Parts: sequence; C-alpha cells; structure tokens
Amino acid sequence: MTLFLRRTLPLLLTFLFGVAFAAQYYIPHPVSEGALTEISVWLRIILGFAMILGIASLCQVHYAKIRTRVAGWGYSLVVYLSMLITVAVGFWAGGQETGTGLGWVYTYTLLALQGTMFSLLGFFVASAAFRAFRARSKEATVLLVAAILMMFGRVPLGEYLVPAAGPLAGWLLNVLSLAARRGILIGISLGGIATSIKIIFGIERSYLGGRE
Amino acid sequence: MRELAGKLLRLDRRAIFVLIALATLIPLLYPVGLPIRVSPEVKRVFDHIESLPAGSVFLLSLDFDPASKPELYPMAVALLNHAFRRDLRVVTMTLWVTGTGMAEKVVSGVASEYGKRRGLDYAFLGYSPGGANVIINMGQDLNAAFPADHYGERTADLPVLRGVRSLRQVNYVVSLAAGTPGVESWYVYGKEKYGFELGGGVTAVIAPGLYPFLDTGQINGLIGGLRGAAEYEILIGMKGKGMAGMDAQSATHFIIIGLILLCNLFYVLAPGTVVRSFDPSAPLRTGSAQDRTGSPQEGQR
Repeated sequence: MTLFLRRTLPLLLTFLFGVAFAAQYYIPHPVSEGALTEISVWLRIILGFAMILGIASLCQVHYAKIRTRVAGWGYSLVVYLSMLITVAVGFWAGGQETGTGLGWVYTYTLLALQGTMFSLLGFFVASAAFRAFRARSKEATVLLVAAILMMFGRVPLGEYLVPAAGPLAGWLLNVLSLAARRGILIGISLGGIATSIKIIFGIERSYLGGRE
Repeated sequence: MRELAGKLLRLDRRAIFVLIALATLIPLLYPVGLPIRVSPEVKRVFDHIESLPAGSVFLLSLDFDPASKPELYPMAVALLNHAFRRDLRVVTMTLWVTGTGMAEKVVSGVASEYGKRRGLDYAFLGYSPGGANVIINMGQDLNAAFPADHYGERTADLPVLRGVRSLRQVNYVVSLAAGTPGVESWYVYGKEKYGFELGGGVTAVIAPGLYPFLDTGQINGLIGGLRGAAEYEILIGMKGKGMAGMDAQSATHFIIIGLILLCNLFYVLAPGTVVRSFDPSAPLRTGSAQDRTGSPQEGQR
C-alpha cells in the first residue's frame, strides 16, 4: 500500500494528467475548456501551498543556522525578525498598503533595499571591468571587443560620436547574438519536450524523491 | 612607466566607485540631452497602441520588483501616459508580489494626472498568486483569476471590464518584465492560446534573449532597458526619467570602456602585476610571491 501511494499513484496521476492536458491543447471543445479552467484554479491552489512550504523551509534552514551559531547566524536572525515584523504589520494594516504601516515598510525598507542592492551592481561591474576584463586569449579578445562595441553603440554619446556605432551594435544584437540565442532556445525547447515525455511516461522519476 | 602602470592596476577600487558615482550624478544634475535614435522594435509598440481605437482594452502587466525600478518604472509611466491619452480602457496587474505597491503607485499616479477614474477608466487588479498559471486562469476566466481588484471591488462589477470575460477580449497586452514570470510566460501561456497581440518591455540584461521572439512576430515590439524607455518618451513627446537617465548611462558606459582599455594597456606595460579579484577575500592570480598576499586593509575593501 505504501509503495502504491509513494510510487504507483503519483506515476499514474502524472501519466493521466500529462496526456490529458497535452491533448487538451488541441481540443477546443467546451468540456475540454471547462477542464482547463478548473485545473488552472487547482494549479494556483497547489502553488499557494508551495508558498507555505517555501516559508516553512526558509524558517527551518535559518532556525538551524541560529541554533548551531554558524558563521553569519546573525543574518538569519535578521531574516526572522524582518519576516515577523512585516507579517505583523501586514495583519495590522489589514493587507492594505496606502497610508498604512505596511506601505511604509514597503516604501522605506523593501523598495529602498532592493533598489540599493541592484544599484551596487553598476559599481562592482566597473571595478571588475578594470581589473579582470583582459584580452588574454583570442576568445577573450572577441568578447572584449563585442562588449565595448555594445556599450559604445547603445548610448546616445556613442552614437553622437560615431553614428555607425548604433547600427553596428544593433547588428551584433540582431544577427550574431540572435543566431546563438536561437540555437540555445531550440536546444532548451527540445530538451524540455524530451524531459516532459520522460516524466509523463515514468522514465524520469527524480521528482518522486530519493526513496522511490 | 611600468611601475606607474602597476600602481594604477592596484588602484583602490573605492576610487573607481567614486568615479562611477560622479559619472551618474553629474549628468543627472546637469543633463546634456543628447539626441536618441528611436529603434524599430520600440516604434512598433508605439504604433500598435496608436492603431487601437478609443475604448480598446489594453492590459499592462508590471512584472517587476523594486530592484528593476530605474529601468522599468519609466517605461510604465510612458506606456500609461500613452494609453490614457488614447482613451484606452487600461487594465493593470502584476505577477510579482513584491512589485504590487510600486505598480499601484504608478498606475494611480498617472491616471490621476489624466483625471481617469478607478473602475471606470482603468483598473488595477493587483497581484494574484500562481505565477504563469494566473495567465492561463485569466485566459479561461478573468473573474476567477481576479475575483476582486487590488482595492477589494468585485471585478465582475467594474465598468472598465464590461465585456471582458477572459484574455480573448483583450486587444493588446504589454508585459514589463524583469525575469520570470514575464514576457515569455505571457507568450507561451497567453498569446499562443488566447490570440491577443503582445508587446514587451524588459531590462537591458534580458532584452537580447527576447530578440528571437521579436523577429518571429511572437511579440510585436520590444522596449529594452532605460534606453527603450527614453525612446518611448521621445515618441510620446514626454521628458521623463528615461531621457534623464540616458546621459548618466552614456557617462558610465564611457567610464567602463575607458577602464577596460586602461586595464589592458597597463597589463601590457606592467605584465605580471597582481590585482585583487571581484571578491576582495580571494587573490586573483599568480604573480610574484611578495605581491600575492595583500595587506589586511586591502583585504577589507
């Protein structure tokens, strides 16, 4: 019975739903559309539970760090405190942001912190470019020249100084980069299809966990 | 010369940080206003909105969080300005929970400038959990995906959504995205099945990845990065944050280009010089033994 619940039933459900909803895409019948409507609601409910699972996992990981006092455990404490304060303020504000404490937390902490974190990237890129972006080999030189051309051609000053820089950067983006991207996309898509087929037919079972 | 090059290679990176800060701040305070060429992919988004008759349903999905605000917020402002000027029925939402407050602010802010009324001329549906599944759900039944808008009003009762039962009744969707779920999700789960026209606005980092979708017509236009926002502002005749930021971007790009060229020149002049890597705690590469260990102060940088 345990084996049935742990392995056979999930495989059966995966097969049935996989085949049914692959076929559904090609059947525009009201019954088929109704089934998709229903399932799309189920999926969102399942993802809601996944969010709860994620929060529980986050708490567990950081609790373990605090308990064992590993290096940087103070940050884990900050995670706990921030989460609890935000949730408490959120409940207090009734989930509304405008003119409430939740709105204040959002505007003056989350918005500011996320903005700052991302802005720092510009500074680190500049520093890294100065120290590490070197023409050590032919491949590195190609990368370096392409990067300089893109940075030059994608800003007004570059186009103002050399009018051909913009179209050249556009050509790099629309022809050379695009060809490589398209190849990668086709590869990813074929891989995705192959993996889906393997999951539907029970060949790929890693999603069942290690004990299957 | 070799010694000087070596010293400059070991330049305290805080000096570079100051340089970048100045290159950003000065053009923002004293803008030059260099001309910006409008690219065809941005023009296509503009042209499509221009072609929509008044009363058409325009859905703007603000799929980003505050980290991408500098690039995508000006796009949102420009697109909303354009849509309200064209008297479109504007429906807005987000698939990113951390972007909800920011999205609400930009939508209500621009709407108030045009005297548009919430629920009547525009709607902000807010956030609904489920990521890309929300798109499928909206395609099947919009009221099931968003039973109420961000303010708790029943979506079925909103005049702006009259006749809009699903994504099939939406004329144009633009996703302003900083990742997934974003433009690709809207194409795969939305446009492909429900047949609306789709445009995209994304950060400069992910824009190159969407060009394959652009050339095949899977998305009809693409606004890429701050530059794309500035181009859109030019098209609608608005001086916004996109254009203001372009001078700063020009300056920082040139600083970075200069630094790369100098770095390579110094390496030619002073081969074997050891510099610290991006991670200050890790020495970058081999060199003379005496140079390999940095001072504790240097390690703190």
